[in-house]
Amino acid sequence: MSGSLPTAKPCAIPDTPLAHAMPGLDTCVHCGFCLQACPTYLALNDENDSPRGRIVLMRALVEGDLSLDDPAVQTHIDRCLGCRGCESACPSGVPYGQLLEATRATLTARRPLPAVVRLALGVFARPWALGTALAMGRLARGTGVASLLAGVKGRLGFAFAMLQSTALPIKRKNYTARGDGSRGSVAVLQGCVMEGLFAGTNRATARVLTVNDYRVVAAPGEGCCGALHAHAGDLETARTLARRNIAAFEKSGAELVAVNASGCGAMMKEYGHLLHDDPAWRERAERLASRVRDVSELLAAAGPRPGAALPLHVTYDAPCHLVHAQHISAPPLAVLRAIPELQLTPLVDADQCCGSAGIYNLVEPETSNAVLAPKLAHVAETGAALVATGNPGCLMQIGAGLARAGSTTRVVHPIDLLDASYARRDA
Amino acid sequence: MRESDGSGDKMLSGGGPGAPAAFRSPLRPRDTADVADAVRDAAALGVPLRIRGAGHWLDAGRPVPASACVLDVSALRGITEYNPGDLTLTAGAGTTLAEIDEATRANGQWLPLDPAGATTATLGATLATASCGPLASALGLPRDLALGLEFVDGRGIVVRGGGRVVKNVAGFDLVRLTVGAWGTLGVITEATVRLRARPEAECTMALDAPRETGTLALLLRALREAPLTPIATELVDATFRAGNGDRGSDAVLVRLAGNAASVAAQRRHVESLGTARELPASAWDRLAAADPDGAFTVRISHRPSRVADLWHAIATATAEIEGAVRHASIERGVVRLIVPATAHEVVAPLVRCLASHASVLGERLPRAAWEALPAVTDRLSRGVRAAFDPHQILNPGLLAPMA
Amino acid sequence: MSHDALGAALAAIVGERQVLVRPSELLVYATDGLPGYRKQPGIAVFPRTRDELVQVVRLLAREGVPFVPRGAGTGLSGGALADGSVLLGLNRLTRVLSVDAENRLAVVEPGVVNVHLTRAVAPYGLHYAPDPSSQAACTIGGNVAENAGGPHCLKYGVTLNHVVALTVILPDGDIVTLGSADGERDGYDLVGCFVGSEGCFGVALDATVRLTRNPQAVRTLLADFTSMDAAARATSAIIAAGIVPAALEMMDQATIRAVEASIYAAGYPTDAAAVLLMELDGLEAGIDVDVEKLRTICLDGGARAVRIARDEGERTRLWQGRKKAFGAMGRISSHLVVQDAVIPRTRLPEVLRLIAQIGAAERLSVCNVFHAGDGNLHPNIPYNANDPDESARVHRAMRAIMRACVDAGGSVTGEHGIGLDKIDYMPRIFSPESLDAMCRLRAVFDPARRANPGKVVPVRSCREWTQAPATR
Repeated sequence: MSGSLPTAKPCAIPDTPLAHAMPGLDTCVHCGFCLQACPTYLALNDENDSPRGRIVLMRALVEGDLSLDDPAVQTHIDRCLGCRGCESACPSGVPYGQLLEATRATLTARRPLPAVVRLALGVFARPWALGTALAMGRLARGTGVASLLAGVKGRLGFAFAMLQSTALPIKRKNYTARGDGSRGSVAVLQGCVMEGLFAGTNRATARVLTVNDYRVVAAPGEGCCGALHAHAGDLETARTLARRNIAAFEKSGAELVAVNASGCGAMMKEYGHLLHDDPAWRERAERLASRVRDVSELLAAAGPRPGAALPLHVTYDAPCHLVHAQHISAPPLAVLRAIPELQLTPLVDADQCCGSAGIYNLVEPETSNAVLAPKLAHVAETGAALVATGNPGCLMQIGAGLARAGSTTRVVHPIDLLDASYARRDA
Repeated sequence: MRESDGSGDKMLSGGGPGAPAAFRSPLRPRDTADVADAVRDAAALGVPLRIRGAGHWLDAGRPVPASACVLDVSALRGITEYNPGDLTLTAGAGTTLAEIDEATRANGQWLPLDPAGATTATLGATLATASCGPLASALGLPRDLALGLEFVDGRGIVVRGGGRVVKNVAGFDLVRLTVGAWGTLGVITEATVRLRARPEAECTMALDAPRETGTLALLLRALREAPLTPIATELVDATFRAGNGDRGSDAVLVRLAGNAASVAAQRRHVESLGTARELPASAWDRLAAADPDGAFTVRISHRPSRVADLWHAIATATAEIEGAVRHASIERGVVRLIVPATAHEVVAPLVRCLASHASVLGERLPRAAWEALPAVTDRLSRGVRAAFDPHQILNPGLLAPMA
Repeated sequence: MSHDALGAALAAIVGERQVLVRPSELLVYATDGLPGYRKQPGIAVFPRTRDELVQVVRLLAREGVPFVPRGAGTGLSGGALADGSVLLGLNRLTRVLSVDAENRLAVVEPGVVNVHLTRAVAPYGLHYAPDPSSQAACTIGGNVAENAGGPHCLKYGVTLNHVVALTVILPDGDIVTLGSADGERDGYDLVGCFVGSEGCFGVALDATVRLTRNPQAVRTLLADFTSMDAAARATSAIIAAGIVPAALEMMDQATIRAVEASIYAAGYPTDAAAVLLMELDGLEAGIDVDVEKLRTICLDGGARAVRIARDEGERTRLWQGRKKAFGAMGRISSHLVVQDAVIPRTRLPEVLRLIAQIGAAERLSVCNVFHAGDGNLHPNIPYNANDPDESARVHRAMRAIMRACVDAGGSVTGEHGIGLDKIDYMPRIFSPESLDAMCRLRAVFDPARRANPGKVVPVRSCREWTQAPATR
């Protein structure tokens, strides 16, 4: 080495979220091990669309080499899926998810979010608006309109295909869940999209937890976790939603909070970081965050109890926010293995993003499709009839992609499979 | 340094009668500086040089003009550094393989280069000609074993490439450039080589090989895919075996190595593949000595999966030649053919015929046969030659006919 | 040709999305795996097919524009940096063109990721042996350019030993075939010259590489030592005993702790002064005899314990920890210098002591993680670049360490290459005549010095070389 060790420059954007995140940037040694873990790099093969490259862009913003309104920076930061697959590959532990949120928050302060993003986030932040939207969605699904329009070209058709894919592909039988409640009390996050489009999965979650001896309690007032807002850089709304949830779950008195949407679970486990500079809420946020569990974690801890045989051919896709953000990979498989006669075929690159990433598929449809394509190909290789995955965004993204590709393979939440298995046992 | 002692050079001439006086008899430099002086003078006067070590290779390669003055580097002899713990050895170019073998044997090590011919061959010539034998496929070609070289280029400039350590990527690779260049880019004066530990246990098995091509191909494939870690796997023909008092069919000689338990298990596996019996290790020395005086030798090669085909094609083409011997390194896909001197007349048509089947590389051939083989005349090869021997005085004609 | 015109001409070949011309989008290409250097290209172009690549190189040749080939940009010598010139990205040429399983050969495009090749040939029970630590990201093209090594090169050899043939486009646009997969060829070892030429000799359009059979048996051992010295001596003893492990790696305490703090935590003992990670492979029969021998040497040499991986999972964890160690050092400090040098294996104990002394004298902590079996050191120093005094001490220490390695009879790089980073050390290990010879070799491939200019050999070492008048 011959005299060009890096020297740091003064900060060009003091007092921004990104400036505060600078120590996280410094952790990156630029080794490049993240490249092949990044879905947008794999799809586009441009380092600007890789974690390492985006970190260079972030650093350039901090050091003033690039300005906040540089369109190139915005493009490449926007294009990130936020899947955090890079965190699972990063030896030096760069907190990429936090850096991305800080960057988006810093950029958002300078420029308005795109109209489609603002509209979507606005809906999610307002229970009445979201309720209306989701009710219309259910109506479209129930009447067959969604199925009819799913074949239409372009984003509209894709959106209806997503909607259509939220219908449960297996028969649901009613049964009465029984357990001794000895594993403690749990409140289940009902959330926004889950309750709107996957309400059945929320009920199933309560039932399977009960069967596995958890005492399920209600937490009135909980709702959207704020993940979509935080990922898009709208940290203020995210914090408001977080405070609302913290209060609701505290009031429920539950020892643990179960989440069946991995994107929400990942967000709630980071409430402490989200509210770290709010002295009134920081400790409460940390305490709640430490009590949040993915539903599969709770079930795996309890066994889970085996159900009745369900001779289905299933493959499992790991949601990014479960495997990369929460480092949970084995428990969902334990859930599926609790179902006798269920044939589980491993999915190649199961830990790669499907391109859903919250509202990404609405904002960056082209890249989203490029990321989805290999996922669909790998699913087809398994020959499975069902793809199990524990996140609404992934369910809809993969489901819509399969439907539009003319595949008969359907998507399902692992909890719905376990619930169906228990229902058969009970019958 | 420039006087001849008059001994042992009966097959060589000095520079031709037209050469300047200093170049009329063989040059015998004592060290690198002498070599540099000699080459510089020769370059200035345009005198072609014939580089000589032990003299084993002087009848190999394309013809070099008789006017070339012999540059005999055999005096650059001796091991200059040997550190057994590093498994590296540095020696003058004139050091013989036998000397290296003797020095390393005591430490359970060896330089695993076993080219055809006597072990009085020198290290410099072995590297310059990239000569190797059955051990190469498992233990390395000369290019894999050479770590560093000192050589004198065609203008008399002393150049060093590589180093004395086992791993090194500093700079452009002058070592690979020079190994196998037949002295046409520089006179090797010293080399550092990688040694290997000798196997703890060894056992050589002769496994009878079927005559029919398809069956032979299956056997060779089975051997390549078997749970074996041989350090040599050489197919030899019945003629070779007969010449060594070992009657029978063609056979594969498998040199098993490892610790005792491993060798025993491998031996059992070889025995399960067919009729096999153990041979003394000296079988390998006999193979190295299989070339009779004045014999013509040529290597025919292709992908390993083609060895059985080549083996058969060569057998057919040489059916009428009394005493022709074939042996093949099956892992490298190289068949070596030895034709006795008496068959001199048929060699050229034979080479032409073989070249239509596979890649043919001449070792020792009559002049007419060389014309059947492509010379090294591609753009980059001409370029490196011009860059390192601009006056074309080092072994001129050896790789390509004189312009 | 102006910058804009060149950009447009390149876009006409590869399409607009494959060309970057805006400085803000070229910034990320100003560094490779060694972030100490920043050299921003003027244009970056990413051909997607061999045909596009050929057309691009020919356009650059016609216009006389210098260019720098780049694969995944994981190199550790600043070799893939283009200073204002054209960066030629090869990472979109990712096809494995053919696999000949019987002859254990594969033909690949330069952008194929190292580990993807191994994955592609796994169904045949084969793998691609050279395994640089960055193998999950780095490309075969980059491996060829740098003559990359890796832990398992101790037994299986480096990239050079695994490349059989190359199709190369020379900087002037000529396409040549070097070497052959179909039998030996007469003439110079041009494959050997090209491998390790650091992008200065041309661009490989494809490479034919040798594949290696997966071993029947593998044993991975971790020996834990209370002193670096003991671990170093054990290494020398293993080599001297004639055992050829597939790999023999050493990590010191600072490295162990960084790895154990990362997601690649492998269960290395954090109180050990050093560990040796060793692997034996080969036939099942007899392998445990060698395992026992290795274990005994380590225990006799002062190891507290020798652990043998029980299953594939544990083996993978032990190796992942080692391979990600350099990345894990990012957690120690904000900046990191990565070093690469080679010494004779018998000199390991003394040189490691010397390195520790140099680090102590400059008040720096040196993290050693390296290929002990080859004597290939990687003394890395985490530091804070914002502290000018600490930076200066790092500089001094690095120079002193390199001097110590050269003085011990070693080399300034074992696998990372010279690139920009080591160019000033070249005159320390090569004479002016030898450096000039390297320039002459380069000039054969690239007389105009347009391919990766300014790398490997200091330009001042290249004398103008003119042919003396013929005497006959």
